[in-house]
Amino acid sequence: MTTAFWIISAVTLLGAVLAVTLRNLVHCVLALILFFLGIAGHYFLLRADFLGVVQILIYIGAVAVLILFAIMLTRNVTGTEGPREVFGLKWWSGAATAAIIGALVLAAIRRDELSKLPTSTQANSSVLEIGKLLVTDWVVPFEAMAVLLTAALIGAVVIALEEVLRRR
Amino acid sequence: MSITLGHYLALAAMLFTIGLAGALTRKNAIIVLVAIEIMFNAAILNLVAFWHFKVFTTLTAQMFAMFSIAIAAAESAIGLALVIAIYRHYRSVDVDEMKTLQG
Repeated sequence: MTTAFWIISAVTLLGAVLAVTLRNLVHCVLALILFFLGIAGHYFLLRADFLGVVQILIYIGAVAVLILFAIMLTRNVTGTEGPREVFGLKWWSGAATAAIIGALVLAAIRRDELSKLPTSTQANSSVLEIGKLLVTDWVVPFEAMAVLLTAALIGAVVIALEEVLRRR
Repeated sequence: MSITLGHYLALAAMLFTIGLAGALTRKNAIIVLVAIEIMFNAAILNLVAFWHFKVFTTLTAQMFAMFSIAIAAAESAIGLALVIAIYRHYRSVDVDEMKTLQG
Protein backbone atom coordinates (compact mmCIF):
# COMPACT_ATOMS: atom_id res chain seq x y z
CA MET A 1 0.00 0.00 0.00
CA THR A 2 2.82 2.40 0.85
CA THR A 3 4.56 2.26 -2.54
CA ALA A 4 1.27 2.43 -4.41
CA PHE A 5 0.25 5.48 -2.37
CA TRP A 6 3.39 7.45 -3.27
CA ILE A 7 3.27 6.54 -6.97
CA ILE A 8 -0.43 7.36 -7.36
CA SER A 9 -0.01 10.56 -5.34
CA ALA A 10 2.84 11.69 -7.59
CA VAL A 11 0.73 11.02 -10.70
CA THR A 12 -2.26 12.85 -9.18
CA LEU A 13 -0.24 15.91 -8.19
CA LEU A 14 1.49 16.01 -11.58
CA GLY A 15 -1.87 15.87 -13.35
CA ALA A 16 -3.29 18.66 -11.18
CA VAL A 17 -0.27 20.94 -11.65
CA LEU A 18 -0.21 20.40 -15.42
CA ALA A 19 -3.98 20.94 -15.69
CA VAL A 20 -3.75 24.46 -14.28
CA THR A 21 -0.41 25.50 -15.85
CA LEU A 22 -0.32 24.21 -19.45
CA ARG A 23 -0.92 26.77 -22.22
CA ASN A 24 -2.81 24.57 -24.67
CA LEU A 25 -6.38 24.08 -23.41
CA VAL A 26 -6.75 20.59 -24.87
CA HIS A 27 -3.53 19.54 -23.12
CA CYS A 28 -5.01 20.94 -19.90
CA VAL A 29 -7.98 18.60 -20.21
CA LEU A 30 -5.69 15.63 -20.96
CA ALA A 31 -3.75 16.43 -17.78
CA LEU A 32 -7.09 16.71 -15.95
CA ILE A 33 -7.95 13.17 -17.13
CA LEU A 34 -4.62 11.99 -15.65
CA PHE A 35 -5.60 13.70 -12.38
CA PHE A 36 -9.05 12.02 -12.37
CA LEU A 37 -7.41 8.64 -13.00
CA GLY A 38 -5.08 9.23 -10.06
CA ILE A 39 -8.02 10.04 -7.78
CA ALA A 40 -9.80 6.87 -8.99
CA GLY A 41 -6.63 4.92 -8.15
CA HIS A 42 -6.71 6.36 -4.64
CA TYR A 43 -10.34 5.25 -4.27
CA PHE A 44 -9.40 1.70 -5.27
CA LEU A 45 -6.49 1.84 -2.82
CA LEU A 46 -8.89 2.97 -0.08
CA ARG A 47 -11.17 -0.01 -0.84
CA ALA A 48 -13.95 2.20 -2.17
CA ASP A 49 -14.30 0.22 -5.43
CA PHE A 50 -17.72 1.59 -6.31
CA LEU A 51 -16.56 5.20 -6.04
CA GLY A 52 -13.50 4.40 -8.16
CA VAL A 53 -15.70 3.14 -10.98
CA VAL A 54 -18.11 6.07 -10.54
CA GLN A 55 -15.14 8.44 -10.71
CA ILE A 56 -13.95 6.98 -14.01
CA LEU A 57 -17.45 6.85 -15.53
CA ILE A 58 -18.64 10.31 -14.48
CA TYR A 59 -15.46 12.39 -14.44
CA ILE A 60 -13.47 10.92 -17.32
CA GLY A 61 -16.47 9.71 -19.30
CA ALA A 62 -18.74 12.73 -18.89
CA VAL A 63 -17.10 15.80 -17.35
CA ALA A 64 -13.79 15.67 -19.26
CA VAL A 65 -15.59 15.11 -22.59
CA LEU A 66 -17.99 17.95 -21.75
CA ILE A 67 -15.06 20.30 -21.09
CA LEU A 68 -13.41 19.22 -24.36
CA PHE A 69 -16.62 20.05 -26.24
CA ALA A 70 -16.85 23.43 -24.51
CA ILE A 71 -13.28 24.23 -25.59
CA MET A 72 -14.05 23.24 -29.18
CA LEU A 73 -17.24 25.36 -29.18
CA THR A 74 -15.62 28.50 -27.80
CA ARG A 75 -12.13 28.61 -29.34
CA ASN A 76 -10.20 27.40 -32.31
CA VAL A 77 -9.60 23.68 -31.88
CA THR A 78 -6.00 23.99 -30.74
CA GLY A 79 -7.31 26.47 -28.17
CA THR A 80 -4.07 28.22 -27.27
CA GLU A 81 -4.41 31.29 -25.10
CA GLY A 82 -2.76 34.61 -25.86
CA PRO A 83 0.70 35.56 -24.60
CA ARG A 84 1.24 34.71 -20.97
CA GLU A 85 1.52 37.57 -18.52
CA VAL A 86 3.36 35.73 -15.79
CA PHE A 87 4.17 37.42 -12.52
CA GLY A 88 1.56 40.13 -12.97
CA LEU A 89 -0.27 41.47 -9.91
CA LYS A 90 -3.13 39.00 -10.45
CA TRP A 91 -0.75 36.03 -10.62
CA TRP A 92 1.13 36.99 -7.46
CA SER A 93 -1.98 37.78 -5.39
CA GLY A 94 -3.70 34.56 -6.49
CA ALA A 95 -0.68 32.34 -5.87
CA ALA A 96 0.03 33.99 -2.51
CA THR A 97 -3.58 33.53 -1.35
CA ALA A 98 -3.54 29.86 -2.33
CA ALA A 99 -0.13 29.31 -0.69
CA ILE A 100 -1.23 30.91 2.59
CA ILE A 101 -4.44 28.85 2.75
CA GLY A 102 -2.53 25.66 1.86
CA ALA A 103 0.11 26.32 4.53
CA LEU A 104 -2.57 26.96 7.17
CA VAL A 105 -4.42 23.71 6.33
CA LEU A 106 -1.19 21.66 6.27
CA ALA A 107 -0.15 23.12 9.64
CA ALA A 108 -3.54 22.20 11.11
CA ILE A 109 -3.22 18.64 9.75
CA ARG A 110 0.25 18.27 11.29
CA ARG A 111 -1.00 19.28 14.71
CA ASP A 112 -4.15 17.16 14.70
CA GLU A 113 -4.17 13.85 16.58
CA LEU A 114 -6.64 12.37 14.09
CA SER A 115 -3.97 12.47 11.38
CA LYS A 116 -1.96 9.75 13.11
CA LEU A 117 -4.61 7.07 12.57
CA PRO A 118 -2.88 4.06 11.01
CA THR A 119 -4.13 2.06 8.06
CA SER A 120 -7.04 -0.14 9.00
CA THR A 121 -8.43 -3.21 7.33
CA GLN A 122 -11.62 -1.84 5.89
CA ALA A 123 -14.11 -4.35 4.50
CA ASN A 124 -13.04 -5.85 1.19
CA SER A 125 -15.74 -4.65 -1.12
CA SER A 126 -18.68 -2.43 -0.30
CA VAL A 127 -20.42 -2.54 -3.70
CA LEU A 128 -23.17 -4.97 -2.62
CA GLU A 129 -24.00 -3.00 0.53
CA ILE A 130 -24.04 0.31 -1.37
CA GLY A 131 -26.45 -1.17 -3.89
CA LYS A 132 -28.79 -2.31 -1.12
CA LEU A 133 -28.58 1.03 0.72
CA LEU A 134 -29.37 2.99 -2.46
CA VAL A 135 -32.74 1.26 -2.91
CA THR A 136 -33.70 1.16 0.79
CA ASP A 137 -32.50 3.87 3.21
CA TRP A 138 -31.23 6.27 0.57
CA VAL A 139 -33.93 5.88 -2.07
CA VAL A 140 -35.45 9.36 -1.57
CA PRO A 141 -32.12 11.26 -1.88
CA PHE A 142 -31.25 9.01 -4.82
CA GLU A 143 -34.44 9.92 -6.69
CA ALA A 144 -34.03 13.58 -5.76
CA MET A 145 -30.53 13.45 -7.25
CA ALA A 146 -31.94 11.96 -10.45
CA VAL A 147 -34.48 14.80 -10.73
CA LEU A 148 -31.78 17.38 -9.99
CA LEU A 149 -29.48 15.96 -12.69
CA THR A 150 -32.31 15.95 -15.25
CA ALA A 151 -33.25 19.53 -14.38
CA ALA A 152 -29.60 20.65 -14.53
CA LEU A 153 -29.01 19.07 -17.94
CA ILE A 154 -32.23 20.50 -19.41
CA GLY A 155 -31.28 23.87 -17.95
CA ALA A 156 -27.80 23.60 -19.48
CA VAL A 157 -29.28 22.93 -22.93
CA VAL A 158 -31.71 25.86 -22.57
CA ILE A 159 -28.95 28.26 -21.49
CA ALA A 160 -26.59 27.18 -24.26
CA LEU A 161 -29.32 27.34 -26.94
CA GLU A 162 -30.91 30.60 -25.78
CA GLU A 163 -29.82 32.82 -28.68
CA VAL A 164 -30.47 30.14 -31.27
CA LEU A 165 -34.03 29.83 -30.01
CA ARG A 166 -34.52 33.59 -29.97
CA ARG A 167 -33.36 33.97 -33.56
CA ARG A 168 -36.13 31.74 -34.90
CA MET B 1 6.59 4.09 7.25
CA SER B 2 2.96 3.17 6.88
CA ILE B 3 0.36 5.46 5.41
CA THR B 4 -1.75 7.34 7.95
CA LEU B 5 -4.84 9.46 7.58
CA GLY B 6 -2.60 12.52 7.70
CA HIS B 7 -0.95 11.53 4.40
CA TYR B 8 -4.30 11.58 2.63
CA LEU B 9 -5.34 14.83 4.30
CA ALA B 10 -2.04 16.44 3.27
CA LEU B 11 -2.42 15.19 -0.31
CA ALA B 12 -5.98 16.54 -0.49
CA ALA B 13 -4.83 19.88 0.98
CA MET B 14 -2.09 20.16 -1.66
CA LEU B 15 -4.52 19.33 -4.47
CA PHE B 16 -6.97 21.90 -3.10
CA THR B 17 -4.21 24.52 -3.01
CA ILE B 18 -3.24 23.77 -6.62
CA GLY B 19 -6.88 24.07 -7.69
CA LEU B 20 -7.31 27.33 -5.76
CA ALA B 21 -4.16 28.82 -7.29
CA GLY B 22 -5.38 27.81 -10.75
CA ALA B 23 -8.85 29.27 -10.22
CA LEU B 24 -7.37 32.57 -9.01
CA THR B 25 -4.60 32.99 -11.59
CA ARG B 26 -5.93 31.67 -14.91
CA LYS B 27 -7.84 33.93 -17.27
CA ASN B 28 -9.77 31.36 -19.31
CA ALA B 29 -13.19 30.61 -17.79
CA ILE B 30 -13.02 26.95 -18.85
CA ILE B 31 -9.71 26.44 -17.03
CA VAL B 32 -11.22 28.12 -13.97
CA LEU B 33 -13.95 25.44 -14.10
CA VAL B 34 -11.22 22.76 -14.44
CA ALA B 35 -9.53 24.16 -11.31
CA ILE B 36 -12.86 24.07 -9.46
CA GLU B 37 -13.23 20.39 -10.42
CA ILE B 38 -9.77 19.74 -8.92
CA MET B 39 -10.87 21.37 -5.64
CA PHE B 40 -14.09 19.31 -5.64
CA ASN B 41 -12.13 16.08 -6.07
CA ALA B 42 -9.72 17.00 -3.28
CA ALA B 43 -12.67 17.51 -0.91
CA ILE B 44 -14.29 14.21 -1.88
CA LEU B 45 -10.97 12.37 -1.43
CA ASN B 46 -11.03 13.56 2.20
CA LEU B 47 -14.46 11.98 2.76
CA VAL B 48 -13.34 8.62 1.38
CA ALA B 49 -10.11 8.72 3.42
CA PHE B 50 -12.09 9.42 6.60
CA TRP B 51 -14.28 6.43 5.78
CA HIS B 52 -11.31 4.14 5.14
CA PHE B 53 -9.61 5.04 8.42
CA LYS B 54 -12.88 4.41 10.25
CA VAL B 55 -13.55 7.93 11.47
CA PHE B 56 -16.98 7.34 9.92
CA THR B 57 -18.02 3.77 10.53
CA THR B 58 -21.03 3.51 8.24
CA LEU B 59 -21.26 3.67 4.47
CA THR B 60 -22.87 7.11 4.78
CA ALA B 61 -19.47 8.61 3.95
CA GLN B 62 -19.41 6.85 0.58
CA MET B 63 -23.02 7.90 -0.06
CA PHE B 64 -22.03 11.51 0.63
CA ALA B 65 -19.10 11.18 -1.75
CA MET B 66 -21.32 9.72 -4.46
CA PHE B 67 -23.94 12.45 -4.15
CA SER B 68 -21.19 15.07 -4.19
CA ILE B 69 -19.86 13.61 -7.45
CA ALA B 70 -23.33 13.79 -8.99
CA ILE B 71 -23.78 17.41 -7.84
CA ALA B 72 -20.35 18.26 -9.25
CA ALA B 73 -21.35 16.78 -12.61
CA ALA B 74 -24.53 18.90 -12.67
CA GLU B 75 -22.50 21.96 -11.68
CA SER B 76 -19.96 21.50 -14.47
CA ALA B 77 -22.73 20.99 -17.06
CA ILE B 78 -24.41 24.27 -16.00
CA GLY B 79 -21.07 26.08 -15.74
CA LEU B 80 -19.97 25.08 -19.23
CA ALA B 81 -23.37 26.03 -20.68
CA LEU B 82 -22.96 29.47 -19.07
CA VAL B 83 -19.45 29.76 -20.53
CA ILE B 84 -20.82 28.99 -24.00
CA ALA B 85 -23.64 31.53 -23.55
CA ILE B 86 -21.13 34.17 -22.39
CA TYR B 87 -18.88 33.37 -25.36
CA ARG B 88 -21.82 33.95 -27.74
CA HIS B 89 -22.41 37.33 -26.13
CA TYR B 90 -18.86 38.68 -25.70
CA ARG B 91 -16.90 36.52 -28.21
CA SER B 92 -14.47 35.82 -25.38
CA VAL B 93 -14.12 33.49 -22.39
CA ASP B 94 -11.60 35.70 -20.56
CA VAL B 95 -12.83 36.17 -16.99
CA ASP B 96 -11.05 39.57 -16.79
CA GLU B 97 -13.25 40.91 -19.59
CA MET B 98 -16.54 39.97 -17.90
CA LYS B 99 -16.96 43.21 -16.00
CA THR B 100 -20.29 44.59 -17.17
CA LEU B 101 -21.63 44.60 -13.60
CA GLN B 102 -18.54 46.35 -12.25
CA GLY B 103 -20.23 49.79 -12.55
